[in-house]
Amino acid sequence: MYPRSFHYHRAGSLKEAVSMLGQLGEGAKFLAGGQSLIPLLKLRFANPEHLVDLNFISGTSFIKEDSGALHFGAMTRHAEIEHSALARMIPVLHDCAAGIADVQVRNRGTIGGSLAEADPSGDWANALITLDTTVHCLGPNGTRAIHLEDFIKDAYTTALAHDELVTEVEVKIPPQGSGGAYLAFKRSAPVYPSASAAVQLTMAGDVCRDAAIALGCVGLTAIRATEAETALRGKSLNDKTIATAAETARAAADPQSDMRGSAEYKRQLVVALVKRAIQIAVRRARGEQIEGAHLYA
Amino acid sequence: MFAEAPNIVAEEKKNGSGRWVGASLPRKEEDRLLRGRGKFVDDIKLREMTYLRFVRSPYAHARIVSVDTSAAEALPGVVCTITGKEVAAQTQPFIEIAPDHAQKIRDFPMAVEKARYQGEPVAAVVAESPSLADDAAELVQVEYEPLEPVVDSEQALLDKSILHEEAGTNRIWTGIWEFGDVEKAFQEAAYVVNIDRMHFHRFSSTPLETNVVIGQWDPKEDRIHYWCNNSFPAFAIQFLAAHLAVHIDRIRVQTSDIGGSFGIKITSYPQMSVCALASKKAGGRPVKWVETRSEHMISSAHGNERTFRDTRVALDKNGEITAIASRHIDDCGAYPRYEPLGCVIYSQVFCGTYRFKNARIEFTQTVSNKCPVGPNRGYSRMQHLWFLERIVDICAHEIGIAPDEMRLRNYIRTEEFPYTTPNGCVYDSGNYPKMLEVAKGLIGWDDWKKKQADARKQGRMIGIGIGTTLDSGTNNFGQSQIVNPNAPFSGNSQGANCKLDIYGEVVVAVGSCPQGQGHETVSAQVVADVLNIHPDMITVRTGFDTERNVHTGMSGTYASQFVVSGLSAVHGAAQKLKAEMKRLAASVLETKEDDLEFGVGQQGPEIKAKSTGKSINYWGLANIVNVNSAVLTPELQDVTLNCRYIWRANFKVPDKAKKYGNLTLTYSSQLHIAVIEVDRDTFVPKILDYVAVDDCGVVINPRIVEGQVYGAAAHGIGAALMETCAYDAVGNMLTSTFSDYTPITAVNIPNIRYGHISTPSPFTYSGAKGMGEGGAAPIHTISAALQDALFAQGIFINNSFNNADSIFRSLKYREGGQLAEQVRLEKR
Ligand SMILES: Cc1cc2nc3c(=O)[nH]c(=O)nc-3n(C[C@H](O)[C@H](O)[C@H](O)COP(=O)(O)OP(=O)(O)OC[C@H]3O[C@@H](n4cnc5c(N)ncnc54)[C@H](O)[C@@H]3O)c2cc1C
Repeated sequence: MYPRSFHYHRAGSLKEAVSMLGQLGEGAKFLAGGQSLIPLLKLRFANPEHLVDLNFISGTSFIKEDSGALHFGAMTRHAEIEHSALARMIPVLHDCAAGIADVQVRNRGTIGGSLAEADPSGDWANALITLDTTVHCLGPNGTRAIHLEDFIKDAYTTALAHDELVTEVEVKIPPQGSGGAYLAFKRSAPVYPSASAAVQLTMAGDVCRDAAIALGCVGLTAIRATEAETALRGKSLNDKTIATAAETARAAADPQSDMRGSAEYKRQLVVALVKRAIQIAVRRARGEQIEGAHLYA
Repeated sequence: MFAEAPNIVAEEKKNGSGRWVGASLPRKEEDRLLRGRGKFVDDIKLREMTYLRFVRSPYAHARIVSVDTSAAEALPGVVCTITGKEVAAQTQPFIEIAPDHAQKIRDFPMAVEKARYQGEPVAAVVAESPSLADDAAELVQVEYEPLEPVVDSEQALLDKSILHEEAGTNRIWTGIWEFGDVEKAFQEAAYVVNIDRMHFHRFSSTPLETNVVIGQWDPKEDRIHYWCNNSFPAFAIQFLAAHLAVHIDRIRVQTSDIGGSFGIKITSYPQMSVCALASKKAGGRPVKWVETRSEHMISSAHGNERTFRDTRVALDKNGEITAIASRHIDDCGAYPRYEPLGCVIYSQVFCGTYRFKNARIEFTQTVSNKCPVGPNRGYSRMQHLWFLERIVDICAHEIGIAPDEMRLRNYIRTEEFPYTTPNGCVYDSGNYPKMLEVAKGLIGWDDWKKKQADARKQGRMIGIGIGTTLDSGTNNFGQSQIVNPNAPFSGNSQGANCKLDIYGEVVVAVGSCPQGQGHETVSAQVVADVLNIHPDMITVRTGFDTERNVHTGMSGTYASQFVVSGLSAVHGAAQKLKAEMKRLAASVLETKEDDLEFGVGQQGPEIKAKSTGKSINYWGLANIVNVNSAVLTPELQDVTLNCRYIWRANFKVPDKAKKYGNLTLTYSSQLHIAVIEVDRDTFVPKILDYVAVDDCGVVINPRIVEGQVYGAAAHGIGAALMETCAYDAVGNMLTSTFSDYTPITAVNIPNIRYGHISTPSPFTYSGAKGMGEGGAAPIHTISAALQDALFAQGIFINNSFNNADSIFRSLKYREGGQLAEQVRLEKR
């Protein structure tokens, strides 16, 4: 299908984009990689009157290390993060970027667009929530920095005002002795996951000092598996403690039955994914370099 | 610019025999297709073109109260609209193949009084651009009164809600196949195995290119011109001519490159009808319809869904199956269309690869409020072959025989070929034990058995499964008379033309419309051998064109037959041309025909007199006939160098009452083995190893055959583990996008190891057997492997679709005692 007709505007700067959207009003939308928006337009589920294209604004796509954090321009494509050596400093970022859909989607889709879309099954919000992540925004009244927990409000809902932009995503580099992993189960490459798990552990020897665990695609937003985190904290990690912690994630998930899986199966998946992600995170915390690939049907 | 690829087709590419047939020649069509120079229907741009969009029913079953197209028509850029009522007023309902009450079904290309599946077209709009057509479609107001939907074939049989009131029932057709002495076999059995219910799921082969039609009904010429990707145009024009009440020679159908069909595009004639009628209303402007992916998923065609009830299997004390009795209920969706042919086509492989003689199958087909089915790759036979393979594995397990041994005891013996099945089909050739041996060798059977035993001790769930299947090709259309004694079809035929053009070019035209099967290449190989020239010296015109006049009423590309019907026609035409060339050359070169040698000389392809060394090239020959004919002697006046040949299969009409007779000419076979592990945590069934062995007799082009095997394997693995056309209880389709349907992709396909044996067919001129469909071997094989992994947990694989989710739930329900006993063994 073809989208309904709309007016196309090309912004020359972030500031201009914001003011354009303000002037054009409620019927206007930003266009980033288009990998969420264009399919919606084609199915006519979304029918904006105006699109303000962010793709031609220079200086919006970058990956930088600065004062203990990695900084990503909003228009940085998933593929750029996937292939970035710098981004590998935080393995969760590489796990996430490399596993999004297929090459075409990764070449177009952006980290800023993904967070702004707040799709319950989108990978970025679910992966980044276990890290110390700040979303930098620009609106008519200037900039603000919002912590990711406060940025994602609900399914498809963020703290952004209508004419406010994501400009940059800042992720603190975890301390030495911390390791993380992001794992999803997907039926095939170009589809969203059935369930995912993000884990970030801070270890002292075999003992877990701190743990952050998030479950993706099994609720309206990422769900923190707090019981599982508690079950790990202060414990010496072995197969048994890991399995026990992972098992508590079953109850924390709040999935729906759909073509990606029945609710009861998604709960099972969450347990399996959390377990595997913890195992990888523990090894990465020890400094091991290991690839964490998603699971496919 | 890309540099032109060097001509890699060197002489040494010929096989050892010095012939082109049998050589792994790269495909002639690849150069064009891989460089993006293919010509597909949507590439065709015509002057004054308009664009059609359908308005579709959101309900699975609803009465249409009113259709208001006025707002759509008022939109600037809209050319016209057309409704189901308008279509019905101008046309006859499509031919029904089914007899009796089902003859009364009124099937029009758009819903008239009732919509019978979600996505059925109710109206169409035609506009100056595709996006305007989409805008206008949104403005059509349709009022519906929802009716009770029927989404299950066993429920359909209760006739509580009837789809086609004219027919009076949802049952389309019932027939009983009974051979041998079934009662006696059960009385004498050492074991009887009862299987309550098995189900073969609905899926589709999802061709990359969706359906596309351009239709033009020019009022000045009163002639309809189609450019389309229908894959059985000879069948489509027969349906369309009767329905539109036009002479068949006033319908021109042209196909060009086609991006996959797998049988799904055979049933696009309803949309072809609407494009023609819309064009007529638009004053003869061409109307293009390009199906979207979602439209394709909800309303093109799905494969047949089948339920197997009350299956009983009799076995002797050695585990040899002596009889099978069962009830099969096939669901053909909202309209029978190509059906109920599937109700007889299954019986081409009535006994599969097995030698049991006694059987009773009651076969019923029903309609339901789902997308109509079409002859999807492996059509109707794969359902039955899956059923037989399930029986073999379940019986083997129940009486304690290893699945490989069980097969060896039951396979048709190699020395029994040609083998006549209980229902009179004649299997041309095969060697199933040999295939099993080759496959076991490739996979490392004994090794895997050891690994499996060790893994089981650690609590891992690993299964090894065998799937044996048949790909019956070149069917006898006479089998249609088993479903309807009045059906005017029998036999099989295909046409080809082979000529020297005015400057001596060798040009071959065939009546097929290939979708990636390499017909240009294999046709050139055959003709190159006949004329002893290089395949690159031959131009092959594929793509159906009614006006090229090489087709018969059975032309198209379907049902694993080109290598038999198509190449036999090409071979026949080339032989005819060669005979004429000989007569002409003998006269010109003043020698006898047996003194002539065909080959390539200094001036290209030529014929030489061995005795004198004098030769004439193809230009010289063609010149005489085409533009220099005064020099022709009287005896040579009939030479045209333009030879049409119609190949016919040597079939008889089957015995309709007994349902007995030969239904197919060739039987390729495939044997796959899979090793699968079900993960203890995620329950994902992971294929650890996979082997595919095929036997399609003499191979014309090994590279193409191997490609077909991989393609069919990928389709089958997708169908077994990932792809299902799911509907909810009220008939909403849940898999209308690729995000939901998830066709198999590269990350899901295991490394497939390929093996081959060859048992030449005694029934074809070349010894080749059709093999394009592949018999869905992976579905049987994966069910078998999962079964092997899960028997120990008390699980019977009784569904052809299994994924991590369904395996997880079966195991859970089994543990919780919520699964009813599926299988019962009686020992006598
Ligand atoms: C076939 C397919 C499969 C996919 N699978 C996955 C998957 O497995 N995992 C996954 O995470 N994603 C998946 N995606 C989505 C993909 O990652 C998108 O790229 C992402 O969700 C949105 O990013 P975008 O740049 O394409 O944004 P767009 O589609 O351009 O925009 C999305 C929304 O965000 C707004 N927006 C965009 N940029 C900004 C900004 N800087 N500031 C404020 N608002 C903004 C837009 O106005 C729009 O409302 C898939 C997409 C497709 C087509």
